[in-house]
Amino acid sequence: MQTTAIARRMRPVYPPPAEPDRREHERSLVIEAQGGSRDAFAALVRLHQVRAFAVARAITLTREDAEDAVQDAFLHAYRALDRFRPDQPFGAWLNRIVANAALDIGRRRKVRDADQLPETVATPFRDPAADAELRARLEDGLSRLTGRQRAVIVLHDVQGYTHGEIGGMLSIPEGTARSDLHHARAALRRMLGDMWSTEP
Amino acid sequence: MTNDLRIGPHGRDDDVTRTLRDIYASPDDPAFWDALEARILARVVAEGDAWWLPFQEWMRAGLVAAGIIVAAAALTLAQLHTDSRREAMQSVIETPRTLAHQMATETSPLPDREATLRLVTAP
Repeated sequence: MQTTAIARRMRPVYPPPAEPDRREHERSLVIEAQGGSRDAFAALVRLHQVRAFAVARAITLTREDAEDAVQDAFLHAYRALDRFRPDQPFGAWLNRIVANAALDIGRRRKVRDADQLPETVATPFRDPAADAELRARLEDGLSRLTGRQRAVIVLHDVQGYTHGEIGGMLSIPEGTARSDLHHARAALRRMLGDMWSTEP
Repeated sequence: MTNDLRIGPHGRDDDVTRTLRDIYASPDDPAFWDALEARILARVVAEGDAWWLPFQEWMRAGLVAAGIIVAAAALTLAQLHTDSRREAMQSVIETPRTLAHQMATETSPLPDREATLRLVTAP
């Protein structure tokens, strides 16, 4: 039971790479949506909202902000659909819009409350107190990073995007994404520093 | 997936990775996604075809046009002002002097007393 719960949590947060059929299906949905079909746009929302949420969540501090960013992004995408070329990957285009929306929300909101996250599922061989402390310290450390630093560390180290993909989403060169990741890791390491002063 | 976090020493990276994934895990509950989809589509219906959006484009173009007109008008006015000043200056320079003015300002080989007399008796 617990193993299943952990397996569910550890699965990738985005769908596997698109097969050609799926790409073609997505393309036809885009064309239909551009023709004014709300049903087709709803299908695109269903296809992409999980990944869009993961991208937004990587940048924002709270789940509520991520939800707002995803809504803003889909609305923006709907309005800009006429300018989108259906032969391009819709997901990559949407991810850029989502990242912009999330960064924009981060800029607008100076003060936020901590996210209400579900309880950590502790494994039997771990000390729950240490888990809780690590989680609290990590959340605190992540909240002190800039939106872009947090984004690169989560998008790369948690969600598995490449530096190039992250650069595309955040509209920065790949090299900048790479160096942002280096600095973000260093900053997080410094913030967690005293936790590592003794051997585990 | 990349497990190479390199944040914590002594093999603690696994802990960091696991905790980060836990923090950023997407919700498992299908109801969450249904609700999010419904909110997105509700906003698209309510705001997606907002009637003022085309006007926003026109308004932007109108503001730019108005700015250009104001700048052109200011330039024209400045040019007119400069021209009128130049014309006024020109008229002053080119106006023939009156005899009295000429007599009063020009040096004369006559003695001062005669010059004064001529000035006084001049019409």
